[in-house]
Parts: sequence; C-alpha cells; structure tokens
Amino acid sequence: MAKDPQTLPAKCRQCSKPLSDVAVCDFCHSINPAAAGMDYFTLLGLPRQFELDEKVLHDRFLALSRAVHPDYHGSDAADAQVLSLQMSAAVNDAYRTLKSPALRAAYLLELVGGKSSAQDKSVPEGFLDTMMMMQEEVHDAKTSGHAAELERLRSVLTTQHDGLMHRIAGLFGQLQDAAACDAIRNDLLGEIRQQLNAVSYVTKLLEQAG
Amino acid sequence: MPAPLILGIDLGTTYSLAAVMTPAGPAVIRDAAGIALVPSVIAFQDDGRVVVGQAARAGAVANPLRTVYSVKRLMGRGIEEIQEDLRHLAYPVVSGKGGTACVTVGGREMTPQELSAMILREVKARAEAALGQPVTAAVITVPAYFDDSQRQATRDAGAIAGLDVRRIVNEPTAAALAYGLDRKDEATIAVYDLGGGTFDVSILHVAGGVFQVLSTDGDTHLGGDDLDMEIIDLITADIRRQFGQHLTFPPATRQALRDMAEAAKIRLSTEPAAAVEVDLGDGRTFQRTITRQEFEAAAAKWIDHTIEHCRAALAAAHLKPQQIDQVVMVGGCTRIPLVLRCVEEFFGRRPYTALNPDEVVALGAAVQAGILAGVQRDTLLLDVTPLSLGIETLGGATGKLIMRHSTVPCQATETFTTYVDGQTSVDIHVLQGERELARDCRSLGSFKLRGIPPMPAGMPRIEVTFLIDANGILNVSARELRSGKEASVQIVPAHGLTRDEVTRMVKESYAHAREDLTAHRLIDLRNEAGRILAAIDKALANLPGVLSAAQRAALDVAVADLKAKMEGSDGDALYAAMKAANDAAGPLTQAQMDEVLKKTAVGKKLEEF
Repeated sequence: MAKDPQTLPAKCRQCSKPLSDVAVCDFCHSINPAAAGMDYFTLLGLPRQFELDEKVLHDRFLALSRAVHPDYHGSDAADAQVLSLQMSAAVNDAYRTLKSPALRAAYLLELVGGKSSAQDKSVPEGFLDTMMMMQEEVHDAKTSGHAAELERLRSVLTTQHDGLMHRIAGLFGQLQDAAACDAIRNDLLGEIRQQLNAVSYVTKLLEQAG
Repeated sequence: MPAPLILGIDLGTTYSLAAVMTPAGPAVIRDAAGIALVPSVIAFQDDGRVVVGQAARAGAVANPLRTVYSVKRLMGRGIEEIQEDLRHLAYPVVSGKGGTACVTVGGREMTPQELSAMILREVKARAEAALGQPVTAAVITVPAYFDDSQRQATRDAGAIAGLDVRRIVNEPTAAALAYGLDRKDEATIAVYDLGGGTFDVSILHVAGGVFQVLSTDGDTHLGGDDLDMEIIDLITADIRRQFGQHLTFPPATRQALRDMAEAAKIRLSTEPAAAVEVDLGDGRTFQRTITRQEFEAAAAKWIDHTIEHCRAALAAAHLKPQQIDQVVMVGGCTRIPLVLRCVEEFFGRRPYTALNPDEVVALGAAVQAGILAGVQRDTLLLDVTPLSLGIETLGGATGKLIMRHSTVPCQATETFTTYVDGQTSVDIHVLQGERELARDCRSLGSFKLRGIPPMPAGMPRIEVTFLIDANGILNVSARELRSGKEASVQIVPAHGLTRDEVTRMVKESYAHAREDLTAHRLIDLRNEAGRILAAIDKALANLPGVLSAAQRAALDVAVADLKAKMEGSDGDALYAAMKAANDAAGPLTQAQMDEVLKKTAVGKKLEEF
C-alpha cells in the first residue's frame, strides 16, 4: 500500500507563525524539526511522481540549501546546529537521489509501496540471456583490446539503458492512472521493479565496458 | 556588536599566509614591509628558541638538522606512506606511535600537528599585530584531495595553536570563492592548483553567488617540491660524474641544493637559462647552467600527471574540456611557462592568471570566514568529499557507504550485529578510497562500538551513522535499535591524534608559550645587565676616587654577582642582581650626574658672556 503523505505542522515551533514552507520557517528561518523525517519529494516541495523538471529541482535544492546549510547556523544553539547538519545531509541526498532517473525511480517505487531490489531480484523474460551474451562480448572485446568493438557495445548498452528508463517512465505514468485498482497497481509495481533490476545490470556492464 | 573576527589561513607546504574579510572585500594580511608570505619553515635554535618564517628559512643551510620544512607532507600520514619524501628531507623523520610520521629535533619528538601549530601561531601573531586585535577563530585551507586523517590533523594543529577552527575548506574551492565573488553570470570553471607539495583540480559551477563543486581530483604528493627535486637530481648526477660517484652530500649541502634548485626554478619561469653554483667544500665548486629546455624535459612527467588528473575530474563531472568556461590558476608553480602551455593545450583556452596565485587561496578562506561570520550572506558554497568512504567487509573487500563527489554534509547508515553470544563490542574498520580491496584503500582507523547490551549472537541491531560534515571530516555515531541504547564509539585513528592527545598538546603549547616568554625576558634582562656593567666601567674610569674603599668593595661584590647571574637562567635572580648593582653604583651615578650638571652650568655661563 502507498504510504500517506506526511501531514505538515501548521505552525512554526519556534515563532508560531504559519508555516508556508515545509522545511524552513519563512519568518524566523528556523528549521522545522519535522522536516528530518520527510520523504524527499515532500522535502523539496515536488509532486510525488517520476516526471520531474530538473531546473525546478535544482532551484529548490539551492533555496533549501541556503536555508539549512551549516554555514548559516554556526552561531545557533547546539541542537539547532545538529539539526542543520542532518537536514543539510538529507537535502544533499534528496537532490542526488531525485536528480538521477534510476535512483529516483527506485526511491519512488519503494515510496509508493513497491518492493526493494533485495526483496525482488527478478528481471524481465529473456533479459538474462541477452545480458550473458553481451557480457561475453564485452569480455572478449576487452581481452583482445578491440577498441571499436568496445565502443559499439557501449553504444548498444546505452541505448538499452535509455530504452529501459523510457519504459519505466511510461509505467510510472500508467501507475498514476491506475490509482484506484490495486491489482493493476501491483502488476505495474512488479514490472517497474523488474525493469529497474535490468537497469542495474546494464549499468554495471557499462561500467565494465568503460 | 561587531561581527566576530575569523581569520582565513592558507597553511601551505612552502608558504603560509592569512587574509581577513573587510567591508571592501577580502584582504591579505601584510607586515610593515608589505610582506604577506610566511615561509612554512621552523628553526629550533641552540638557545631553545623557536623561530618561524623567513629567519628560519635563512638559517636552514647553517642549521639543517634543526630546521623543519614541508611538514604538510607529513600531516596525518604513516611513516611507510612517505618513504619517497624522506629522501628529500634533511631533518630526521621517525616512526612515532602506531607508525605515524614524527619529527625529532634535539632529542624531542614532535608530531606534524605540533609543528604545523607553530606555523599557525606565527601567522596568527602576525595577523594580531597587523589588525591590532586578538584572533581566536580561523578558517584553514587544505588540499581538496586531503583525506579524513589529513583534515583532522590540520584541525588539530589549529586547536594546538589556540585557534577555534571554524571550518576546513578546500584550497581550489577557496580560490574559486575569491575568483567568482563578483561574477554575476553563470560559468563552469576549473581550478588548477599546483602548490609546493600538492596538486588539486576542481570543477565548479558558479552562478549568482552559488559555488557548487561538481568534482575534484588530485595528488597530495605532487608539487613544486618535486620539480625542485628534478633540478637537484640533474645537478647531483653531474657533480658525481665530475667529482666521483661515491660523493655524498652532508645535510647542509642538501639544504643549499634545495634553496638553489628553487631559485633556479623560479628564475627559469622568466629566463631561458639559470646559472647554479654549489660549494662542495675543500675549495671545490661546481658550476653549471640549466636551460629552460632541460628543466621542462625533467618536469614534463609531473605536469603530464596533473593533466591526467584534470581528465579524471572532467570525466567525473561528465564534462568535456571545451565545456569549461574558465580555467583559474592557483599556486606558485602555475607561473611556470610549461604548466601554462600544457593547461592551455588541454582545455583549449588560455588560463586565467589575473589573480595572484600565491594569495588567492587565503583570500577565499577569508570569504568563507565572512560567510561563517554572517557578513557574506548571499554566498552559498556546496563542496564535495574527494574520496569514497567505506568499511572493510568479510574477506578484506571494501563496502562503499558514501560515494566520492557526494555533496557534503552527507551521511549513510549501516546496521551491524554480533557473532558471539553476549558480545558487547564490535570493531569496524573504516576506509577511504576507490579501490576494491581494503588493503588498497587508506585506513582511517578502527571504530570500536561499545556498550552493546548482551544478547544472543546476531540479535543486536547496531545502526551506525557515518556523517561527513562540511569540513569533509567523518563523524560516527551508533545506536542499538532493539534497546534504543546509544552505543559509544571509540575511535582509534590510524595516523592521527586522539582527543586526549590534542587536549594535552593544547596545554603543552601554552606551557611552551610561557617558556618562550621566559626565554625572551631572559635575553632582554641580559642585554640590560650588559648595559649596566658597561656604564659602571665607564663611570669608574672617568671618575676615579669618588667611591670610598668600602663603597668600592661593595660595588665589586655586586658586579661580580651580576656577572654570575648573567650566566644563569634565573630571570628573577638576574633582575635582583641588576637592582643591587645599580644601588651599589648609586654614589658613582650621583657623582656622574653632578659632573654633568657642572659642565652644563659652565657651558651656560660661557654662553652668557
């Protein structure tokens, strides 16, 4: 089941002014302690979906960094300094995770109730055969020092990677449309997991071919 | 209330300097003669005094075994890691506790942290003199590629010097801060920093006051010192050819060679050739001219290494050389024409050299100090960790927890358990580096988790949080999840100081400061006593027969006592003897005064006529 979006405190704990921003009070600039437990989409004020505007993500990241970075909380009380450090680490990790499509997909999948890669290691039908074949070709090209062949394999793998990510984006779109039907949702979540597992394989092989 | 003063300090391998944020922007601290650079050289003189800076450097040839330089190369390192450096160092480096590199001078073993603290104290004192106010807080720069141990060592050195180190900031990042402070446009820049002992390259995105480091690469053992060594090797090979292969060089000659090589290197940046002359003793002199071509041939392999690091940094940032808008040059070695040529060739654009490459890092440190003091509100600096952080897993492999180039602060958590029933502590071996095997990575030390409630094996779930703070320094905390109990983490650094050791050294440093003060006072008192003795001699010669026999006997006793006390080292006794001699000479002084008055009166009378 999907987790419920966290409910936000309506008032700042520090100055009791209404909170318009989730992580930091607009009035007294103190960090909202509840922000430490927020999911990354909520933290950065982004809709919980796969499609994402990178420019908006970057702007939100910088704005939030300005608010929580330890550089600006050096003269705070000790507990506020600890909060600044932890929040800053969380914001950095949120940005890193959401910026990368593969990491974003994996994070979102678990957030909406999908299995982790440790819980479900399955891959799409026939994928492993293709991978084993590719692995051998990469191995041969590397041992024989065949640069052009290695380049061709990298290009094939990149295309495969992009194709998988495109498919994952489509599946997340269908997931939003299927919000009402649990059976379809579960099928889609399982399929996204399989595609993502395939992405990890391809990424690892790309690294080997690099 | 005025903003608290935080000093920006560039603690360099060969030179150190400080800068401070002013309303007009960052400004370098200079002495009355306008000099900003303090040579990072420490001399231990025979009278026990410690001299830092130009004076220490000037005496290096005369006093090679008691003159310590390039101490930055030893910071946070084990003796086995710096074998190559030892060949270049004239002073004795020994294996200290746990194989950590230490320096012995006059039978006293000192850690690189304590030695760096002496340099920092000198920089601090100069800043205090120039600013006319005490300095208690600082931002200190380190090479971006410094690992956790080297950063810790630098922070500890600051503490020993009596400084509250508010931030450790990366040198290329500091340079970018100084460079991009007034830039409003968006740019991707590369900072090429070739210093005295280290090389760094960082790729940053700069836009509207935001400085975001994308990647960094480098070598903490590649710098101007290596280029000097190439020149020395060139010359010593020739000397041996001429005067015999068996020739060995005493420490004083090695020191003289170092000075000469550095001077030749600097000269070759502007001249096509440099003449060198080495006095080999016994009336033997070696003379030779080094051409720029020769130097470049010898230096090329080092410069090639730096370009390889540039390539790696770009690859990590997913950028191509032509996507770099500006290349900022930092460090004295970037004045070398070969360096400029190679960098221009690689990036396909002329490097930016308008900033003083020796001062730009200190200026940037002052900007960071301004940010921390709250006077530079619109600037946001996002730096990265240069190396991946991992732990040793079963079979000696590295399990990575935090990937390199992650924006700091960053954190990762990992859960551990026990293998034996009732086990109450767990050891974790923490590593930094990119290699697969633990033994190929840098060991940061072992972290002992204690206070685990006794449970059957495998039951405890100890959640360990590894947090790299904005200084790039690791903080570890642990909690046992089933009991919710905070487990204590005892850190045994591989090559660093424990908290207790730092505390002890801070205390010792105050004690030494008192010792230094005592030494100073003694010297002043001796000088004063010398003046008193000379005055008494002069008065006795000019005015014989003024003193009665008893007065003369008393004076002789006082003078003899004063001379004896001048030989000793008891300042208070010396002061008392000075006072006694002065008192005994009282009638003599009085007679002298009368004589002067008489003469003056005579003079006046003569004038009146």
